[in-house]
Amino acid sequence: MEETTKDLEGVVFSHEEVADGFRFLQIRIDGHLPCARPGQFVQIRPSRTTTTPFLRMPLSVSHVDRVGSTFGVLYDVVGPKTRALSDMNEGDRIECLGPLGNPFPDVPDDARPVLVGGGIGVPPLLHLGTHLRSAGMDPILIVGARTAGKHLPLELLSPASEHVRLATDDGSLGHHGFVTDLLAQAFKEEDKPVVYTCGPHPMMAAVASATESADVRCYSSLEEYMACGFGVCVGCVVERRTQANSPYDQFTRVCVDGPVYDATEIVW
Amino acid sequence: MSDAQQVDLSTRVAGIDLANPVLLASGTCGYGEELEPFLRLAEVGGIITKTITPEPRSGNRPPRIVETPSGMLNAIGLQNPGLEGFVEHKWPFLSTLETKVIVNIAAPTVEQHGEMTARIDALGGVAGIEVNISCPNIREGGVLFGCNPRASADVISTVRRHTKLPVIAKLTPNVTDITEIARSVVDAGADAVSLINTLVGMAVDVEARRPILGNVTGGLSGPAIKPVALAMLWKVRQAVDVPLLGLGGISSTQDALEFLITGASAIQVGTVTFVKPGAAADIVAGLGDYCRKAGIARLDDLVGSLKS
Repeated sequence: MEETTKDLEGVVFSHEEVADGFRFLQIRIDGHLPCARPGQFVQIRPSRTTTTPFLRMPLSVSHVDRVGSTFGVLYDVVGPKTRALSDMNEGDRIECLGPLGNPFPDVPDDARPVLVGGGIGVPPLLHLGTHLRSAGMDPILIVGARTAGKHLPLELLSPASEHVRLATDDGSLGHHGFVTDLLAQAFKEEDKPVVYTCGPHPMMAAVASATESADVRCYSSLEEYMACGFGVCVGCVVERRTQANSPYDQFTRVCVDGPVYDATEIVW
Repeated sequence: MSDAQQVDLSTRVAGIDLANPVLLASGTCGYGEELEPFLRLAEVGGIITKTITPEPRSGNRPPRIVETPSGMLNAIGLQNPGLEGFVEHKWPFLSTLETKVIVNIAAPTVEQHGEMTARIDALGGVAGIEVNISCPNIREGGVLFGCNPRASADVISTVRRHTKLPVIAKLTPNVTDITEIARSVVDAGADAVSLINTLVGMAVDVEARRPILGNVTGGLSGPAIKPVALAMLWKVRQAVDVPLLGLGGISSTQDALEFLITGASAIQVGTVTFVKPGAAADIVAGLGDYCRKAGIARLDDLVGSLKS
């Protein structure tokens, strides 16, 4: 199975709504698995696309099935690009560029991985959790959403963790409050936690702040508007926190330098 | 002509021998390396580097890009490692390529264009210099030169004095009469003209009632601008006598043919590379196929064949 970065056409293997607005799309490309490692992403668009929407949609991979040669992505239908994706049916052809970006770093020895996801930032953590469990680790998965209907179903969450902890902003499911409340609780329980997070910017900023205060290592997977996804457009940048040697290094390209960063590297 | 028969795609533009007339446009192919997984750079006629400036630049604050109908706006702001950073970190890879490498430059002052040109000329192995007097997203230089015929001429004549390499002026469409600028840069010694750079555009977030781009305005590129680019190419074709490098929304073989027929000696593939990183090589193959089917032995014969 080839895992080098390529631009190939696949077919829609399955496509279903799994929560309010969230859709789970599985793609099959014979002989190629365009996302080997958790945290990497693909750039996709329907092959029948003409010029609108024009750019591809960058999506983190949530599932990889090496045996079946398929991979899965989860997305929320929010704009023209995701609407175009949502119109795809089984067997439709789809352009796939990947794998792109850098994966989550390995878990340090003896550390307990705590995965913190919010909204549609959960998918790369599902891939990560499943991967960690297959390597014999026992990750905690904390997931936040606005309301119960926006939570992914447990059958998608549970393969990534035996310890799924849910929060909702409106209290309709799990803890009434933010993921940072549950994260604070996890810090009390764990001697040596390490945090992996992906979600809306305010949530990740709060997680970055909480982990820094607790002196806990935190890896954040950023989502930014992208054109190319492989480093040439220089559109998806975020500001580095560390003093850059050259103005050229003030902004970092999320697609090729990230999307995973040590949370202390970034200006939140 | 049988399918097996070879078609000659080669051309000579402003003294640069190209294996084919398909170039990668500045700002859409980085410094080549990032495209390697998707595109054999030897398959395209040439690569035009992302603009380099005398000093390193951080570029504009994000958001820098947004999709618009059939295209996108960008306001990158020429983030680049600067001339010496380019020489140290980017040129070593570029210098190994079999394809022609054209270095694109911009500078805040006329004099600095000359200094940059001398340094690039001295590298040896550069095929030509494209002068970006048309970037709409920076506060000094760029389009401030390119909107004024006199300032454009000053920049080009300064570059001209510092090199024997082919000098290509890249023009902005954001002017009242692009032929006036084209004439002035040719009179100042440009060997060729690239057109068009992006059109100034803007997008608004209704909910937040704010501009979407950090820079407020950006440059529109992609298929949306192709008809504008063709019209400007057609006008400039009649105004000046140097080779023209056509760009603006070229995404397919059909698009490339339209530019060649209208009078572009070579074409540049830009924004589509973001979507299909191998697009330029597909267009090269497509031009060969077209010629075989149409019984055209030399693609160059098609250039400027537009009937009135």
